[in-house]
Amino acid sequence: MLDITWGEDGRVVFAGRFDASQEAKAQSFLDQVQGACALDFKDLQYISSAGLGVLLKTQKRLAASGVGLRLINVSKHIRDIFHYSGFESIFEIDPSP
Amino acid sequence: MAVATTMELTFPRSIDSLPRVFEAIEDFLTGLSMNEEARFAISFSVEELFTNLVKYNPSSRTDIVLELVKREGEVEVSVTDPDAEPFDITQKPDIETNKPLAERKPGGLGIHLMKKVLDRIDYQYSDRRSKTTLIKKLE
Repeated sequence: MLDITWGEDGRVVFAGRFDASQEAKAQSFLDQVQGACALDFKDLQYISSAGLGVLLKTQKRLAASGVGLRLINVSKHIRDIFHYSGFESIFEIDPSP
Repeated sequence: MAVATTMELTFPRSIDSLPRVFEAIEDFLTGLSMNEEARFAISFSVEELFTNLVKYNPSSRTDIVLELVKREGEVEVSVTDPDAEPFDITQKPDIETNKPLAERKPGGLGIHLMKKVLDRIDYQYSDRRSKTTLIKKLE
């Protein structure tokens, strides 16, 4: 199960598991993002390639307006997945806490 | 060498099966000395295979078979489609992950990532049974 909510400072907070069964829900939420935005992954336990696809699609849409997503509080195993995906060069990822 | 422990389960061919697939994996791995990266690698890879079978062989009426085996020092997980055309992910070429954002397209990452996070992937095809086996070492 994946929960996605707006944080107090305009960040988008992810909690739970971002698997293929949550793809449509997550895409629909991120389609509301119009400017530069931080995604907080502190309570994100898991992301699959379906989730990576949603992030990439959103980043491409925002890049057309010259802005992008910033990923914060990324756990080590999810960070490894971003590394193997080549996402470190196309997303701003804050250093691990 | 310790005796292997095996569990076999079947799941309806639907994305809606995923929560029960993950639950089965977690139950099976409970009690194993295994780091978070290894658990993640197994869930990630099984989801990738399972969703590929749902997406690319939707007309089949057979359930998808998940087999989990614990051995000394490793876990082996097989995902079998009992009625399918061959689909050998070990033969898929690597994708380029160093392209700039404008040239990146969603999709194609899953198999690439499985090869990165697993220790070995085997494939067998016989009598329309398409079986992919994932091996992850515990240390």
